[in-house]
Amino acid sequence: MKRFITTIIVISIAGLVLVACIKRDVPEKVSVKFKTPDLEEIIYPADEKNVTIDGVDYLQSQAPCGKFGGELVISTIGEGPKTFNPCNTKDATSSTMAGMMYDGLVTTNPRTGRVMPLLAKSVEISGNDYIVNLRQGVKWTDGTLITADDVMYTYKEIVFKGYGNPSAMDAMKVDGQLPDLVKLDNYTVKFTTSKPFAPFLRQLSYPIVPKHYFKPYSDKGESVFNAFLTPDTNPKEIVSGGAFKLKEYVAAQRVVFERNPDYYKINLKNEKLPYLNKLVYLIVGDSNNEILKFEAKEIDALALRGSNVARYKLKEAASDYIIYNLGPDTGTLFLVINLNSRRDKNCKPYVEPKKQCWFLNRDFRAAIDWAIDRESMVRNIASGVAEPLFTAESLNSIYLNKYIKGHPCDLDVAQKSLEKAGFVLKNGILYDSCGNRVEFDLYTNAGNLEREALGVMVKQDLENLGMKVNFKPVEFNSLVNKLTNTHDWDMAIMGLTGSPLEPHDGKNVWTSSGSLHMFNQRPAGYAIDDRFDWEKELDKIFSEGALKLTYEERKPLYDRYQTIIYNQKPIIYLYSPIRITAVRKKVKNVFPTSLSGLLYNLDEIYIQ
Amino acid sequence: MDFFKYITKRILQVIPLLIIVSLISFFIIRLSPVDPLAELRLNPSISQETLDKEIKRLNLDKPIYIQYISWAKSFIKGDLGYTSAGEKVAVKLKERIPNTLLLTAIVIFMTWLVGIPLGILSAIKKETAVDRMLTVISSVGMAIPSFFFAILLLLFAVKTGWFPAGGLTSYNFNEFGFWGKFIDISKHLVLPVVVLFTISLSGLQRQMRANMLEVMDSDYIKFARAKGISEWKVIFKHALRNAINPMITLLGFEFAGLLSGAALTEYVFQYPGLGRLILEAVMKSDINLVMASLMMGTIMLILGNLLADILLMIADPRIRGAR
Amino acid sequence: MSNIIEKIFEDKFAKIAFLTLLFLYTVILFANFIAPYSNTYSNRDMSYAPPSKIYTIDESGRLSWPYTYNYIREYEPSLMQTVYKQDRSKKYYIKLLTNGHLLSVENGGRLYLLGTDINGRDVFSRLLYGGRISMTVGFLALLIVFPIGLLYGGISGYFGGIVDTLMMRFAEAVMAIPSFYLLIILAAILPGGMTSVQRFALIVVILALIGWAGFARVVRGMVLSIKNEEFVLAEKTIGASDLRIILKHILPQTTSYVIIAMTLSVPSYILAESGLSFLGLGIQQPDASWGNMLKEAQEFTNILYRPWLLTPGLLIFTAVLSFNLLGDSIRDILDPKSQKRT
Repeated sequence: MKRFITTIIVISIAGLVLVACIKRDVPEKVSVKFKTPDLEEIIYPADEKNVTIDGVDYLQSQAPCGKFGGELVISTIGEGPKTFNPCNTKDATSSTMAGMMYDGLVTTNPRTGRVMPLLAKSVEISGNDYIVNLRQGVKWTDGTLITADDVMYTYKEIVFKGYGNPSAMDAMKVDGQLPDLVKLDNYTVKFTTSKPFAPFLRQLSYPIVPKHYFKPYSDKGESVFNAFLTPDTNPKEIVSGGAFKLKEYVAAQRVVFERNPDYYKINLKNEKLPYLNKLVYLIVGDSNNEILKFEAKEIDALALRGSNVARYKLKEAASDYIIYNLGPDTGTLFLVINLNSRRDKNCKPYVEPKKQCWFLNRDFRAAIDWAIDRESMVRNIASGVAEPLFTAESLNSIYLNKYIKGHPCDLDVAQKSLEKAGFVLKNGILYDSCGNRVEFDLYTNAGNLEREALGVMVKQDLENLGMKVNFKPVEFNSLVNKLTNTHDWDMAIMGLTGSPLEPHDGKNVWTSSGSLHMFNQRPAGYAIDDRFDWEKELDKIFSEGALKLTYEERKPLYDRYQTIIYNQKPIIYLYSPIRITAVRKKVKNVFPTSLSGLLYNLDEIYIQ
Repeated sequence: MDFFKYITKRILQVIPLLIIVSLISFFIIRLSPVDPLAELRLNPSISQETLDKEIKRLNLDKPIYIQYISWAKSFIKGDLGYTSAGEKVAVKLKERIPNTLLLTAIVIFMTWLVGIPLGILSAIKKETAVDRMLTVISSVGMAIPSFFFAILLLLFAVKTGWFPAGGLTSYNFNEFGFWGKFIDISKHLVLPVVVLFTISLSGLQRQMRANMLEVMDSDYIKFARAKGISEWKVIFKHALRNAINPMITLLGFEFAGLLSGAALTEYVFQYPGLGRLILEAVMKSDINLVMASLMMGTIMLILGNLLADILLMIADPRIRGAR
Repeated sequence: MSNIIEKIFEDKFAKIAFLTLLFLYTVILFANFIAPYSNTYSNRDMSYAPPSKIYTIDESGRLSWPYTYNYIREYEPSLMQTVYKQDRSKKYYIKLLTNGHLLSVENGGRLYLLGTDINGRDVFSRLLYGGRISMTVGFLALLIVFPIGLLYGGISGYFGGIVDTLMMRFAEAVMAIPSFYLLIILAAILPGGMTSVQRFALIVVILALIGWAGFARVVRGMVLSIKNEEFVLAEKTIGASDLRIILKHILPQTTSYVIIAMTLSVPSYILAESGLSFLGLGIQQPDASWGNMLKEAQEFTNILYRPWLLTPGLLIFTAVLSFNLLGDSIRDILDPKSQKRT
């Protein structure tokens, strides 16, 4: 009996295997049935206007009137906010959250990128003077009026003292000097810079905080101030002035905001905004989880990347969401080469001398640039949802140098460039003029599928030139340590997020003394002038560019800086992802722009 | 009196253990090339001043042994310090510990509820088809990588819509009534519990089976059988009592083990527990946070063992006598 | 030894498990021969290509030597979607045992038995090469764990007293650090500039550093009970050196426990490697291991649309399950108590 059963089992397994092997060749029918949804042209509302009613200076939104009430649930990737103190934010999530609660004097026009007034009613600029007129009758959530004293306090006792995150102080310095600030009357203050300084106006977007609530803490010294408004603060105690106020924070899960009933923005019917009763940020650990939450209809908006785009595009017509293409992202991916020729404390060179010879050679770097197959990177790694990138400014930057056209991948040009630099190719192996085999390390941060795949491709591309590339993904924090502290690396694949509006924000990367001047990092307080000629020119451009006031004057300078980077190639840009977002149809008044993204106008958005 | 003497002795033994653990972990972490400020450094809008301030605040400019001493000093005073992002470590732990305890308690309860009877069953039915099936099933549970299982379950949750996609509570949790809250949390807990339950069940079941077999083989059970006591009574009255004692010892280890074993599961399910917190802290070399949680883990392990010992003393008169 | 294998074969599950493992190890041993592609092969026009379809009956319904078609990639810009279509203009016949490969395909043809990954690398071939790492990492770690554990436990148990107390306190401290975090901390320390061989070796060492303490404790317990047995006492009176007694007389008594512990701990090392790789701390690209291949499958769309990327998970599962079942039955065979019972 047992044998019988065994035989049957064996025969049936063999049969199954046989059946699986015999497969009839029937042409596959690939039928792609889909309907692209009718593209509705986004009609942007006009710019907001100042309206005064009963002595209160309101800001009137010109967006269509909507329905009050409703909840919007969106997500933030990472560990959630570290602080709600708007002066002490050092990461994007905390800044976003604090930005909900505290407004700056000015803000950025989401379409044009120009500076426009927010908490300030207007800003008059004459020479180096910036006269800020505040709105009258605007209140903090506890009913106290927002006055010039709050502005004076915020700048004099927080920003200028370097409390919290001192980067704001650094950004306001013109030639190392802080601007002058005087109070003209209860609703007017005047800033005076020592020199004309273009990025200054944008610095006025620094959040203004209520003096009566913050001062007791800032008076107790910096460490008390930095520990003030940590996420576990009781929301009921917090005095804020933004469109939303904090309702609840649940660690590692969510941040819930509720509407500020006394906000100074109104709609066309003069009703007080925002429309939303509740705004929920779910804290999600990674983009994978964000997608799952969107699939499960737990969140209302989603940033799409790579192959996800196709999935959601296919289902868009029959779905409850709309997909917006916001164009190239501000994020860039690049290959950076270590041009450091200095020695460490023990007189040991950071980079092996023979490698220095290669990396410092412009033609060598050019060969790498020409050998890199950006087209395939975009197609494979970004699933086509990206644009090849050749410039230091991101593709949506208003300062983008449009004359830099880039080039396709061309191994012949790369090889010629190497020959010119004295390299010799023997039996498919590349040697330098001294007979050393060209071999170096390529780093990127481990655990990131995109960067690891990029590394594999760059390795292959360079091995086509006969170089030997040891690709070494390392843990993110270790990699940054290498780049900024120990300097013992050859090449690395990294990504940074730039500002599409203000190229001066990149000064830490491009100026020779910058803290993020990765490709030729000097230690802090380095006194010897060993700059390359082009580094000197970059330094000059960045100090001049900040002092020129008009876009027309600044553009040629920043065009030039991009040309220098493109020619010298200390950093070889790879691609910029295209930003595609999905948002539920029930969310109205969505006017996505390339500069500001999808949901920048949360006070105008309503739920239908 | 002996009893208290014993406990005091055990508690005193904890101190050298804590010192060694803290030394090992502190030096390993600090010797690693991981930069706790990496994220700040890579942010183009963060100035050198900010970085310098952070380095000062985190004592990164001092030699390691001084860092250790200053850490140890404040630890003894009960001050756990600040995370690299500037939050109070004590607050962060306080937010997470209840969640982890909840998850761990449920998992342990479930595994005991299911694992012990299954262990007894397979011991009684030793080397029968039932025993074999149970062994295979528990082996299957042990063989799936936990994170992978968790991801598949999450996908299942999303596809069917039966369970939420990770987390512990819904966003409108506070508007629910008591039962609403209860149901909401239960729904969120199902999947992580399933994963951890599957993983830890097999160990418990095997252990119980082995203990049971050993006891059944002992002379006094043979004697009891010889006396003609019914098999049922032999098993449940005599064998079970003795077989379960070593399991109590295991409980302490299981408690600490789950704390560590749950990390990947918590990570995938975005569960706001201690495991995920430590995982993220370790990856970022957030020294105060890692040290505080490792110390906590150690203390929990020791307390678990102590508790198990006490339980054992109460449950087993022989041990009480021996001490 | 042959006795053990004989006994394993008496047990159905153990037999299947043993044969499965034997099969897996044979396959990865001959990976160069069996895999259609080398471990550096990649075709960047074939990123995420689905598995090749192999036909044995042609369009007209006649039996034919197995053949396949190539895929062509097309990009649909309005959907931003990449589609693979079969290029039905030319058939490529499967070839056996040519150019030193078991399976290959006619010139110009592409044979992806399990599709390709993001870089257009053949998943089937990488599975075989990755298996070499995943399936050996555990054994190599054991080679380090066992001598350390045996010696440490042996010395501690044999001498007893203050030596024992100190040594055991240290072992307990190591055990008290939750192992997974210790693993991550150690893996994160690994210096960046390592070759893949070095990295592999260090991961083995790290896995070993986690495992030795528990093992040493058990050995100590066994030694404690053995050292008072008559034959040890007899050796002592002859005047044999302590080390000799430990190595020659006491440790051999623990053999059966060692074998059981070995088979039962290999799977935990395999799982640990996959967990490390999931966090990006394990074996690194471009090298393959089942863990880091499985990492690629975590992405939502990959699970949904590219199920072939899940195969490493299946293999980890199979290998670990087999080791567990085998370990169980070896324990039953070697455990003196169970022998007494049967």
